[in-house]
Amino acid sequence: MFDSSILLSLVGLPLFGIIILFFIPDTNPDLQKNVGLSTSLLTFLLSILLWLKFDMSTPKYQFVEKFFSVPYSNMHVYVGVDGISLFFILLTTFLIPICLLASWDSIKIYIREYSIAFLFLEAVLVCVFTCLDVLFFYIFFEAVLIPMFLIVGIWGSRERKIRAAYQFFVYTLVGSVLMLLAILYIYAQTGTTDIQVLTTISFDYQTQIILWLAFFASLAVKVPMVPAHIWLPEAHSEAPTAGSVILAGVLLKMGGYGFLRFSIPMFPDASIYFTPLVYTLSIIAIVYTSLTTLRQVDLKRIIAYSSVAHMGFVTIGMFTLNIQGIEGSMLLMLSHGVVSSALFLCVGVIYDRHKTRIIKYYSGLTVKMPLFSMVFLFFILANMGFPGTSSFVSEFLVLTGSFKSNVFVTTMATTGVIWGAAYSIWLYNRVAFGNIRTSHISAFQDLERREFMVFLPCIFLTFLMGIYPEIFLNAMHVSIIHLIEQVQ
Amino acid sequence: MDFLTFFGNDFKAVMPELYLFTACLLLLSYGVIFSTSKLLNYPVIQLNVGWLTIFSLFITLSLLVSSPITTMSVFNNLLIIDAFSTFSKILIVGSTLICCLMSMSYLEHKQVNSFEFFILILLACLGMVCLVSSNDLLALYMSIELMSLSFYILAAYKRSSEFSGEAGLKYFILGAFSSGLLLFGTSMIYGFTGLTNFEELAKVLTGIQGVSDAVSYNGILIGITFVAVALLFKVGAAPFHMWAPDVYEGAPTPVTAFFSIVPKVAIFALLLRLFFFTFHDFIGFWQPIFLYTGVLSMLVGSIGALYQKKIKRLMAYSGIANVGYMLIGLGAGTVESMTGLIIYLIIYIVMMIAFFSFVLGTQTEKDSKLNTYVSDLVNLGKVNPALAFSVTFILFSMVGLPPFAGFFGKMYLFLAVMQSELYVVAIIGVLSSVVAAFYYIRIIKVMFFGTSNHYTTYKTMDKMNALVLSSSLFFLIFFFAYPEPFLMCAHKAALGLCL
Repeated sequence: MFDSSILLSLVGLPLFGIIILFFIPDTNPDLQKNVGLSTSLLTFLLSILLWLKFDMSTPKYQFVEKFFSVPYSNMHVYVGVDGISLFFILLTTFLIPICLLASWDSIKIYIREYSIAFLFLEAVLVCVFTCLDVLFFYIFFEAVLIPMFLIVGIWGSRERKIRAAYQFFVYTLVGSVLMLLAILYIYAQTGTTDIQVLTTISFDYQTQIILWLAFFASLAVKVPMVPAHIWLPEAHSEAPTAGSVILAGVLLKMGGYGFLRFSIPMFPDASIYFTPLVYTLSIIAIVYTSLTTLRQVDLKRIIAYSSVAHMGFVTIGMFTLNIQGIEGSMLLMLSHGVVSSALFLCVGVIYDRHKTRIIKYYSGLTVKMPLFSMVFLFFILANMGFPGTSSFVSEFLVLTGSFKSNVFVTTMATTGVIWGAAYSIWLYNRVAFGNIRTSHISAFQDLERREFMVFLPCIFLTFLMGIYPEIFLNAMHVSIIHLIEQVQ
Repeated sequence: MDFLTFFGNDFKAVMPELYLFTACLLLLSYGVIFSTSKLLNYPVIQLNVGWLTIFSLFITLSLLVSSPITTMSVFNNLLIIDAFSTFSKILIVGSTLICCLMSMSYLEHKQVNSFEFFILILLACLGMVCLVSSNDLLALYMSIELMSLSFYILAAYKRSSEFSGEAGLKYFILGAFSSGLLLFGTSMIYGFTGLTNFEELAKVLTGIQGVSDAVSYNGILIGITFVAVALLFKVGAAPFHMWAPDVYEGAPTPVTAFFSIVPKVAIFALLLRLFFFTFHDFIGFWQPIFLYTGVLSMLVGSIGALYQKKIKRLMAYSGIANVGYMLIGLGAGTVESMTGLIIYLIIYIVMMIAFFSFVLGTQTEKDSKLNTYVSDLVNLGKVNPALAFSVTFILFSMVGLPPFAGFFGKMYLFLAVMQSELYVVAIIGVLSSVVAAFYYIRIIKVMFFGTSNHYTTYKTMDKMNALVLSSSLFFLIFFFAYPEPFLMCAHKAALGLCL
């Protein structure tokens, strides 16, 4: 009995928290923050329970239940979890408390609304990753825009945030309305939007190609793939720290998840047909954005561009359509969700203290902020794929997978590792080493306890995924083998 | 012949219309007698008449809702009462009622002080109520004129304002021109068929293609074109939209709200009856008319609104764009598209009601003025966050973001368009809705992210507008949770017309 309502509670708990938040007066901001944090922590514990109860031996959707039906149509909104979506849910519930805790002191205005925005985002994201209906996937996918637009626009840092919020909104909307049309076309043709049914229906070749492109227009903006990536550095650099964390940690993964859940199983022929396109765009993403990263001066933009490069690896792995590649890309998404989030948190730490993110003002932080420098070094190494960290395992898997299908692509992608090392180490060099410059910044303060507690779970997870990835991969195996069988 | 036996039970069937008509006359006499009474020292009875109007509209609404008659044609087939017409009448009377509620505080603060405003609104409402149940080209023309003549005066109602006079004159000239087109179209149809009744026309026009001679066939086509153009004029679809921005801007704000909400229902109900029922056999002929004007309206509305600085002008262009969406629903020509159109219409009027109750309800503390420019809303997010968040949600709904109601309106419409395999139209439609997102989002930007140091404080919103705003916002946010009643109504209304 408890099994069946676990997903409902995962969505319901944050919504319940929102309702409680409405009743707390503005004179008590600490209580508002505490309610937000404790609700999200409870949700995280509940999602751990989901993982414990998850049956790894079957590719079927588990914990399936019907949320509601749309009247006068064949749409029944089922939710369920399989090996692909399980970890995205965990990632979401893991990052939301971190977001709330990381911005504990830095958010000064609209504190209640801030917690509400993040809790709403959590509920919607859980719906995105559990929904077994294409139309409702779209609805939740779009609904994410509302809190995110407000988070960037209201709590963002500089004047340019308006432009960033605009770009974020419009890029996403342009892509996704095409996906909406594709979904409506599918519904008009087949009479259902249930993914479990749709994967058993095969469209003819021409239709598949057009539908795949329409889905691609939306998902590629979210991933983001190269020509559509412009919004990402803007949105990242203008969003508040927690906004960047959730953007890099979970929102980018919605694109990858969409490919795995919808594009590949529903349009297998088109996916094979367009593999060269995806490879080409991914290689451009890896090489071009890595080089762009080298000439950025804003710390957040550097990490944003390195995210684009990492997502290039993800898309290559996904379209190798073999088990190493897809599992590698899944693991890379998880690892990137933790590592780049933590990097954004690091930037947030020094931004909170000195209110600037321009590299040239920072130098020699190791002298005055040893603990911070250690943490920052750890995540910089994780970002470049150092053995023992999560990125190494996942990038290795991706490259192994793509080696089977295309050696040239693998060679080009491997250069990305070198570029990654180049910009990561150089970044760390400029910020942490060298002489300490007191001309711009004279007062320093190392990590406080709250900040350290934010980083600790990230460090733990990065090591865990790097040293013992089986616990994550085991849960995925069956589902991904099932996915590959559907394609062949 | 005895008058009553001649019409039989017809008078009982048109009870709501009769009641509305009597209320108009009584309120007019009441107003004339009392406002000119020397004995009472010429009292200002505007609000008094206003509340009586609201009361009589409420009674009409209850008469309509509890009407026992489902299908009947009255006065020698001049008017028809069926599920569709009753449904549209409820929408029209209900939204008129809400418009009156919304304008009360404006009229009080602006001291317009003439009670004829409400009489004119009642007369226009009567015209529209007759319009949606008209079953004859003559009844159509008569009721559309009753509606339009009241509108011209309403547009010019603020006598002290030059803009208002200009708006009234412009509206009158172009409206009279379109009425002329309508009359010409109806006379062409009458000339070539000898009929004015919708049902008889439908029977005669069935299968006329190829049977009749070329001259009368083409004559009928020309007649249909003129009727369509005249109605597109009235509803403000591009390329017949040029009056809309000026009239919307010039007219007093409650009138603008009224114009952008109620006539859309009436004219679209008429268009549906006329083209889905009477001229249905010419579907291959009229379908392109509506599809092209629909696509053009979407583009003109979305792109034209981008550079508008005044709120009312912006809403005029947004209205043109929304008419465009409804027209492609009309042009798709299936029962599904008709259902989609009706759902879209309901959601559209609720969004407009919500937005205009915000516009009419925010009066500056200093001189109780309404906001004219979009830039007047700057820093509303800091001054009054609750209101600003409400407006944000209304605007997100207008953009068509899920899970707000606006999304479902667009979804049902585009689903029907996809089912009719009009892919190019659908793609243009969704892309123009992205363009439209720009100017809706601009309002949000001004409210929250504005950088000016100009803070305007507002009076507490009056009770009526607050009530209307909050309940319509509730509808927009929670529509997704329980859409059944609306879907069922729309579906029944659509089926009632087609079967």
